[in-house]
Amino acid sequence: MTALSVQQLHKHFYEPVPFHVLRDLSFNIEAGEFVSIMGKSGSGKSTLLYLLSTLDTDYEGQITINGTSLTGLAQNQLARFRNEHIGFVFQFHFLLPEFSVLENVMLPALKLRKQSRERIEARALELLYLLDLKGQEYKKASRISGGQQQRVAIARALINEPAIIMGDEPTGNLDSVNTKIVFDIFRQLARERGQTIIAVTHDDEFAANCDRIIELSDGMLV
Amino acid sequence: MNINQRIATVLLTSRIRQLLVAVLSVTFGISMYIAMNGFMAGVNNVQTEMTFTAMPHLKVYNDLANEVEAILPPPSDSQTVLIVNNARNIRYTEGIRNATAIKTAVRDLDRVMGVTTQLNENVFIRNGVSRVSATLSGIQTQSEDQLFRTTEYLTEGDLFELDRRANGIILGTGLARRIGVGMGNNVTVSTSEGLSKTFKVIGLIETGAQSADRTRALVSLQTAQQLFSKNKNYATEVLVNLHDFDEAREVAAQIAPLTTYKVEAWQEGNGQRDSANVLRNSIAIAVSLTILIVAGFGIYNIMNMTVNEKIKEIAILKAMGFNGGDVIEIFLAQSVAIGLLGGFTGLGLGYLIVCIIDRVPFDLGSISTLPMQYSATDYLLAFSFGLIITFLAGYLPARKASKIDPVAILRG
Repeated sequence: MTALSVQQLHKHFYEPVPFHVLRDLSFNIEAGEFVSIMGKSGSGKSTLLYLLSTLDTDYEGQITINGTSLTGLAQNQLARFRNEHIGFVFQFHFLLPEFSVLENVMLPALKLRKQSRERIEARALELLYLLDLKGQEYKKASRISGGQQQRVAIARALINEPAIIMGDEPTGNLDSVNTKIVFDIFRQLARERGQTIIAVTHDDEFAANCDRIIELSDGMLV
Repeated sequence: MNINQRIATVLLTSRIRQLLVAVLSVTFGISMYIAMNGFMAGVNNVQTEMTFTAMPHLKVYNDLANEVEAILPPPSDSQTVLIVNNARNIRYTEGIRNATAIKTAVRDLDRVMGVTTQLNENVFIRNGVSRVSATLSGIQTQSEDQLFRTTEYLTEGDLFELDRRANGIILGTGLARRIGVGMGNNVTVSTSEGLSKTFKVIGLIETGAQSADRTRALVSLQTAQQLFSKNKNYATEVLVNLHDFDEAREVAAQIAPLTTYKVEAWQEGNGQRDSANVLRNSIAIAVSLTILIVAGFGIYNIMNMTVNEKIKEIAILKAMGFNGGDVIEIFLAQSVAIGLLGGFTGLGLGYLIVCIIDRVPFDLGSISTLPMQYSATDYLLAFSFGLIITFLAGYLPARKASKIDPVAILRG
């Protein structure tokens, strides 16, 4: 089954000078694939990820996720779609520091409101245990280590059982031990749960162990 | 509590000091609004009360006719020249002849609170060698008291003693001082027609209006009628008080057809009192609204800072699927909470300030503490103004937050 499909995708920047960032990209990603997007700085890999994640809507072409065409949808529909079908892991964890670890994980599900609070809480705890965060649930998000914070961010990305997890340099801020832990989590999620994962990365070792590498150079697939 | 309100609560309570400052600024604005408006209304009430201690809402008296008939008809042809020299408008009658009838007719009207008749004449009052001019009022004690609460202004003696003692007189305190008499002394009253009668001072009155206190002397209406040799239907003025003094003009128009005498509402010749009230009220509202608006700027500032501080969290919330409306709700809820908290404490503090002002000693005429009006409308208005201003002050930063482009923030 195709999780994500891109047809003839173009992206231009107009500021500060007109620039054709992405040129006629077309590719498919199957469900359960663990894909990394690589490329030099300025090759457009992050730009591509933000287009795929629907945060950036200024493009030409066609993006379809799980059979839903996302091109031309209104901002509020896209927000709803992201909430339900896309999980984010960024280079920086972006947890809400005033909230506990558990509440941070529960936030997207509380927004989605498809389940009762009790079920969401049970599922969040389950995810935290899975990511080896037992004992940290009720601490403030600002009071745990960087590696732990990144794992909390992954738990948060998983809470709504999204179709795709998108990572923007998810290990970019971590030491080698934590990088390995995070990578192993991704690997395990893809293999055991059939989770589709797309991650932008610089890290050759990280990319080498993925199912597939999409390499960009000057806005084109290599 | 939904998730947006929960986020708003956490964001708000994580900065207790800022929250406190914002709440206090609203509290201060609202309490000042209540206190200033209450105080100004109190001052206005005292002014009104003082104005009406001697002045009725309506007055019926004998005035010169405004329209005078021509003495001779205008000449019918151009060959005749008409010359009238030294034409005068003369008042043929003095006072009101049928005062009792007018009083009875007016008393039965709906909006009338009370009616009294007075016989006022200028007289000289003598005590030995000192002699001053004064206005002698023959009054009906019962209805006079009902209209002007005269008994409250008596510093000594009893108003109703006038009915029992035909030779009793009550003097204004200033008048008594000018001729050097006190309670129990005798004074001689001389009319312009040369009649004299000796009275005994049985009371002193002080209304706070200096000019009245220096010239006023009260006797009973019967005594005055005797003194001026008038019959018992005679009076110089019929005075009318209404339930609502703002209706004076309308009631005057209603009474006018009942009598041939002049009917005058208090506003004629007292416009300055009305405009002074309006001015005082506008100043009070302007100052207190300014305070509230300044509080609004404070909240705007604080919310703006919060939005800037939390810009990354806002971006991530939007990435996770919170839409613009959710973000507005999160930030607007914070300022509305500030408005509500500040509003309720402001109502409490306002009431406290009002109570304190009400107890500050201040001696003037009939009042002993600073004047204050307790009005539920002021509290309601203060609260709603406070809410409206915090709402606006919160809405602008909230809208700004909702328009944040997550891509720009998350890419760094």
